[in-house]
Amino acid sequence: MLAYFRAPLGYTVIIVFLAVSGLSFCRLLTQSATEQIQIGDILFGSAYFWLTLLLTIALISMPLFAEERNSGTLETLLTAPVTDVQVVLAKFAAAYMFILIMLAPTVLYGAFVFLLNAEGGSFSFRPIVAGYGIVLLIGAFYTAFGLLMSSLTRSMVVSAILCCVGMSATFLAENLQYAVHNSWLERVLGHISSVQHVMDFSRGIIDSQPVIFYLSGMVLFLYLAVKSIESRLWR
Amino acid sequence: MVIMGGYGWILPINVKDKRIIIKVDDLTKRFSSGTALKGISFEVERGEMLGLLGPNGAGKTTTLRILAGFLAASEGSVRIDGVDVLEHSFEVRKRLGYLPENVPLYQEMRVDEYLNFRGRLKGMKTKRLRNRIDEVKSQCGLTEVSSRIIAHLSRGYHQRIGLADALLHEPELLLLDEPTIGLDPNQIRAIRDLVKVLGQKHTLVLSTHFLSEAEMLCDRVLILNHGKIAASDSPAVLTSLMKNKTMVVAELAGPHADVTAVLRALPGVTGLFWNPCPKAKDDQAAQEWNRYVMECDADADARCGVFEAASRRGWSLRELKQERKKLEDAFAEITGSAPMD
Repeated sequence: MLAYFRAPLGYTVIIVFLAVSGLSFCRLLTQSATEQIQIGDILFGSAYFWLTLLLTIALISMPLFAEERNSGTLETLLTAPVTDVQVVLAKFAAAYMFILIMLAPTVLYGAFVFLLNAEGGSFSFRPIVAGYGIVLLIGAFYTAFGLLMSSLTRSMVVSAILCCVGMSATFLAENLQYAVHNSWLERVLGHISSVQHVMDFSRGIIDSQPVIFYLSGMVLFLYLAVKSIESRLWR
Repeated sequence: MVIMGGYGWILPINVKDKRIIIKVDDLTKRFSSGTALKGISFEVERGEMLGLLGPNGAGKTTTLRILAGFLAASEGSVRIDGVDVLEHSFEVRKRLGYLPENVPLYQEMRVDEYLNFRGRLKGMKTKRLRNRIDEVKSQCGLTEVSSRIIAHLSRGYHQRIGLADALLHEPELLLLDEPTIGLDPNQIRAIRDLVKVLGQKHTLVLSTHFLSEAEMLCDRVLILNHGKIAASDSPAVLTSLMKNKTMVVAELAGPHADVTAVLRALPGVTGLFWNPCPKAKDDQAAQEWNRYVMECDADADARCGVFEAASRRGWSLRELKQERKKLEDAFAEITGSAPMD
């Protein structure tokens, strides 16, 4: 039985984003060539990285359901012998694979740094791997969220905006943390700060708490998306 | 559920009437904007071609969507081949092909790609899929456009692609929502011919606005109005209709009161309407012409009676004809719109 199929995306449109993200990473690299920083900061600390990542995820996940609703193809999709769960998972998988493919070239940057590391400064692989690991998890988390937002509305723009707003909750959490003086809110924000997580992980501080947060969040969003699609029966 | 036979045999209840492929009982569908379907019930036999007729908003598309499993009924049961549409949604979907209104397609794909995608979605194995794709393409006349992008094709082709997709997994039942809407006359003819051919091997339920189409294609017609079934019968029966009438039209000049009295008294006449005829500008005649429309029983021909009455009493008669009621008139009557001339 078909459990996985590629949800059709506007491939040509996406390639543009790929180019943009590629460029931004290049700048990152050249920018940091003269500085002696930790690997994690180079790869993940730049605002460019985060911006392009968030934006791309929002833009890729927004048409997943909203477009289908708009053009009516949701009807043919859901009247084929596939379960709603399969549809949601397959769309998620397709979007996430795209994100992975987009991030893959950044590994090359790591490789370059390694090769250029002539002075024999300390270099270990594990933080990088951990850093990538958490970024992948975060990507999955955000993609699932974007999918959920897309399934809630007909309008792609609305779902993109909702997605960005939602993602900034974790993204800006670190900054907001210091703006809020309420103690419990401060701690909550500290816990969910994605940027912080990435920094920690890429320094080798691996904590199970963010992992669980992202994994469970992803599962929750996917579940809610399935429910949202199911609910059309009763509308 | 099982039935215990009188001798203690246990019979499976699915040994039902094998003729019936769709059984709808008391189907009700409520939306937040109102009730779309109000307890309709009907059955469809295998191999039958059923037409759903009705004005916009009558509930045709809603009925088809519920049958296809896209929406759920608020009340009532819908069974296809004995299985409930919601509970065994998978089973049902494998046995039916659905073509929604306005044929939604993935515009950026090519025809072959799209059919391939749909086939894999339906769980067809590669080899069988490849054969089927070739078959449906030739059936629907799509072989020349196999590798073209869907967005570049005309609406007529879109409809055919949608049909091909619906046929791909060889379903027994086809649900078509307004298959000829938005097409030009040539395309309409092509699709209708195709549907006719399909009707020979499949059970079809199609919804349409076009009464002539329903007359042409369907064995039976269900007229829906405001969510209820207003009439259900073969087009021929519906045409000679509920009131079973024909109309005789006569243009007469004569004393109005006399004329109406005499005409009403003619055998077979059950109703009389009249309109004054518009006067030509230079018509000097003193006579006032009126146009009388008589509703008659189908087997009575009131024309002779009108002629005799007119000649005997000296009325002038300048037009006399009989009109059979068409399905359009029946439709208008049933759905409460103004009766057509």
